Amino acid sequence: MIAIFLLPILLISPKTYITLTISGLAMGMLLFLVSSGFSLIFGLMSVLNLAHGALFAWGAYLGFTAFSSIDKWTGWGGSSSIFTNMLIFLLSLVAAGIGVAILGVVTERLVIRPVYGSHLFQIFITVGAMIVMEELIRIIWGPNDEPMPVPINFIGSLDLFDVVVSKYPLIAIVIGLILYFIVFTILRTTRLGMIVRAGVENPEMVQVMGHNVYRYFTGVFAAGSALAAIGGGMWATFVKSINPAMGGEVIVFALIVAIIGGLGSMTGSVVGALMVGLSYNYVAYLIPKAALGITMLLLVVILLIRPTGLFPEGT
Amino acid sequence: MREKEDRFKNPYFSLKILLLAFFLLTPFLFRSFEILDVVLKIIIFSALVASYDVILGYTGIISLGHVLYFGIGSYFVGIFMGKLGWISYGHLALAFLISIVISGVLSVLIGLFSLRIRTIFFAMVTLAFMEFTFILSSQLRSITGGEDGISFKLPGILAIDFSYGKFLGVEFTGRLISYYLILLLSLLLFILMLRFVHSPVGRVLISIRDNEQRSIALGYRTYLFQVIASSFASCVAAVTGGCFAMWVCYVSPDSSLSVPIMLDVLLMVIVGGMGTIYGGIFGAAFLMITRAFLPKLQVLIASLLPGVPFAIRLSERWLFYFGLLFILIVYFFPKGVIGTAQEIISRKKAA
Repeated sequence: MIAIFLLPILLISPKTYITLTISGLAMGMLLFLVSSGFSLIFGLMSVLNLAHGALFAWGAYLGFTAFSSIDKWTGWGGSSSIFTNMLIFLLSLVAAGIGVAILGVVTERLVIRPVYGSHLFQIFITVGAMIVMEELIRIIWGPNDEPMPVPINFIGSLDLFDVVVSKYPLIAIVIGLILYFIVFTILRTTRLGMIVRAGVENPEMVQVMGHNVYRYFTGVFAAGSALAAIGGGMWATFVKSINPAMGGEVIVFALIVAIIGGLGSMTGSVVGALMVGLSYNYVAYLIPKAALGITMLLLVVILLIRPTGLFPEGT
Repeated sequence: MREKEDRFKNPYFSLKILLLAFFLLTPFLFRSFEILDVVLKIIIFSALVASYDVILGYTGIISLGHVLYFGIGSYFVGIFMGKLGWISYGHLALAFLISIVISGVLSVLIGLFSLRIRTIFFAMVTLAFMEFTFILSSQLRSITGGEDGISFKLPGILAIDFSYGKFLGVEFTGRLISYYLILLLSLLLFILMLRFVHSPVGRVLISIRDNEQRSIALGYRTYLFQVIASSFASCVAAVTGGCFAMWVCYVSPDSSLSVPIMLDVLLMVIVGGMGTIYGGIFGAAFLMITRAFLPKLQVLIASLLPGVPFAIRLSERWLFYFGLLFILIVYFFPKGVIGTAQEIISRKKAA
């Protein structure tokens, strides 16, 4: 598997290869943040949450608002200290995460709970929720693109042994990895994580064991929404602009990553996201127009050889 | 025999005849082009929604990329007439034929590798494919004209500037001939779809929808039947897409292949009711008419509440209300308008 991703080095010069790999890994980590929540929600509740993209966009907008207002108040975003830059960035991500987690709980309670068990109605309802949330963004923040403010020290690139590496992707990779390890540790080692993993395999049995599985549904939905929101905020800083429809593009990637990795699997999500991110960046450099094609090809190949994804069942 | 006689007494039957008569007479009843345009779009979209209903309501699998085939139909007509400049009846028919074949093959392929696993995968994979085709159609500028799309002319008597003279006070133009041609095609599609869902294959599909395990136990390879249904519906959608392109003489990613159109189709199915075929007509009429009158409503709101930018912004976001409507209908009328009406009538009959 890793050999396939070393293959492009034959076609690309090593320096470019490293640059592409880093931006590919960054894209992968951001995709992981979106698709892990999506995948876990599907795994546990078997809800195909098409509103996930809208939650992602809400995260970006809340992050934008939080960043702008903190920046206006303290001027941390424009200061030359990397510490205050980091602080304001993390604070705005946390604000986005908390805000969207609340939104997620409201959505889950009000909209999705009445239709548990029916895939058809869930899809309809989440599509409706997606429209409503996206339109709410347009009503509150206006329908146009907004430039996303970026902390000063995040702009530009480092020169590591003659290889040009942009700063922000490195930060994104680190934050993504930290979040992955937090989620992974919670799922692996805590009692809560154990119950959630059991729920992915068999929710009825968890219910029988005396746990109120619906409470865990709400919790996982909130956590998944928060991850999507953090992903949204980081993605917005990555592309430096936000627009209300940004969730629609990302949800398709999240779907593909979730299918590749295996629905409900954390490790699957991270592997799938990295595969999609890397292959997308290599191909975008070699044949720009085929970049999305390679993602689809990846999906088709995985579906053909491993229909349940790379890591089936909750891991 | 007895069934045939009863058919004329059936209220549904006379309703259908009335509806058809209305569509036939529309050009004579309303002289304005706007109304004709809305009525024709209702016709095309009700056929598209009905084809979606074959998948959703009769087979019980969820496709989120049905508009992909609509787009394929539109694009083949657009590319043949506009890009290649082959403006003749033969090529128009060829464009339809090729788009039907390609849609059929593509949907069989998608169905084969996604329906095999779980039907929910079908929803995801179709959505991904539609998004992919959408981006493809906006990037391949040399073939599809990119974001700008292709505008084109139709051959002979279908061309906009063709005029035959007056008939009953209505000018018989190429537009009118296109209108009747599309009406005829849609009628044929409707008959075809009704035949399909009432055929033995259609019966199996309904049994799969209602109880897949049982159909498997009865010896049906359910997954093949689902593939058949989805490819049949895709071919129908391709024809409706071609009709749409013929009417607007223009094709672009936004007008015939985008997610918003898929949302429209979903909303039309929900409003009309699933598993009814006819529900599509009601759903399409509801959405198209509302949308046609929305600009006027916005002007009204803007004049009633001047200087309140928030209210104007709220009135501009009509999709927001459609989203709310979407959720409310799924809660309270999960069977849609036609479905609920049918239920009430059958309950009355039973009583």
